[in-house]
Amino acid sequence: MMGTRKASLTVPDPRPSVVEQGSVARVLGARCSSCGYPSAFAVPRCPACRAVVCPEAFGPGGTVWSVTTIRIPVPGRTPPYSLAYIDLDDGPRVLAHVSGGGSVEIGGRVQLVGPGADGDIEVESTE
Amino acid sequence: MTAFVYGVGSSRYAKQPHLSAGDLVAEAVLEAFGDAAVDTVDAVWVGTVFGATGVAQRALHRIGVTDVPVITVENACASGTTALHEARAAVLTGRYERVLVVGVETMTAEFDGAIHPEQTDAEGRQGLAFPGLYALAAARYLHEGYATPEQLAQVAVKNHRHGLGNPRAQYGGEITVEEVLGSRPIADPLTLLQCCPISDAAAAAILGPERGQARDVAIRASAMRSGGLWDHRSESVWGFDLVRETALQAFAEAGVGPEDVDVFEVHDAFTIGEIVTTEALGLAEVGGGGALVASGATTIGGATPVNPSGGLLARGHPLGCTGVAQAAEIVWQLRGEAGGRQVVDARLGVVETMGGGVSGIDGNACVVAVLGG
Repeated sequence: MMGTRKASLTVPDPRPSVVEQGSVARVLGARCSSCGYPSAFAVPRCPACRAVVCPEAFGPGGTVWSVTTIRIPVPGRTPPYSLAYIDLDDGPRVLAHVSGGGSVEIGGRVQLVGPGADGDIEVESTE
Repeated sequence: MTAFVYGVGSSRYAKQPHLSAGDLVAEAVLEAFGDAAVDTVDAVWVGTVFGATGVAQRALHRIGVTDVPVITVENACASGTTALHEARAAVLTGRYERVLVVGVETMTAEFDGAIHPEQTDAEGRQGLAFPGLYALAAARYLHEGYATPEQLAQVAVKNHRHGLGNPRAQYGGEITVEEVLGSRPIADPLTLLQCCPISDAAAAAILGPERGQARDVAIRASAMRSGGLWDHRSESVWGFDLVRETALQAFAEAGVGPEDVDVFEVHDAFTIGEIVTTEALGLAEVGGGGALVASGATTIGGATPVNPSGGLLARGHPLGCTGVAQAAEIVWQLRGEAGGRQVVDARLGVVETMGGGVSGIDGNACVVAVLGG
């Protein structure tokens, strides 16, 4: 028989790391030394061409690729909350929360905020 | 060499938490055995996502399916069709002669609503529930002018109407575009009636080499792929490229094109999914899927009926079961046994299933199979 499962999930945090550099927030990821592919994560090698990668910070600016507002209960979350795919300038596409109940539009300009207290990537409109 | 479907079966698709996975599997498998007019198999492939460890063996030994290899696979929503794809390959290579395919999922005992985002996934951990993933595609489509909210709603209207003709379906009814758009918001722009329900169900199919029986249905082709990177370079919405590539592979193997197909069962977990999928299958250009459903072409009686069973939206979406349920529907359609939802003179059918949940790629897996002809 299987053992008893732990009551709470204690898995490593899979989200990209957001750090404050100077007065701006950036996503700590990696860029391929060969093809230039940007990743939002500290990937072991380039996901696109398998070459060596170097650490790189992306952001704070980006453009909204799409956005939705989640209105259903999700464990550990209080709806409604908005999630957007952001194409960071010269960087990867990341999923981010829209900060502070604000709104953003597809094609609109945003910047990273944070790091948020709970570890989410957050953005706000700069328009 | 061609693999054939000898027989299919299924439980009802419903919220029926009083039935165990074993009850549901027994109902589906015994119907499939009777339909195939056989009593034994040489191996079993099982598709399930949240099934308990040993879910298939726990069910099968009670109906005398023992002592043969049982192989359980998980490929998110494409788990059932992955089992079908692998079982067909086993028949084609001669690894096993007669193979049972089972899809099973019991969801309502586990979830109150949408399945919980996977906490080991970067986007799941950020709270991206499945309706949100599809909503991001829908929002992009609306922004690009590729579809209208009314066209999205028409997918739900059509598939709920189709569900009326399917006595096994979870839902069926005459609903209006206004009712769909006015139903409870789930993840903008998707509303409740644009989202599939969770379900408890099992479905089964028995495969083997040609045996010269008229009711057997040929699996003419089957392709399965997992997604490429979906990232800042991706112009297409999530999943489109994976479905398109898988479909091209399946159509090439079958030697036919989408224009030759009489009936489709596709992955409409959310309304936008059917629109994007019909485009990826080649039934319409990108941006033409909304107009396609609005034209009536994908309604039973139209030129290319899609989801006559009611699809995931109305038949229900018991994750790992769904792919086998889709295949069973196509078998019934091609035999002329689909009753009040029969597509007239259906000779060639396509099943398409899409599984997701891993962020960073275009999909966990997609299967496209071509049956009949």
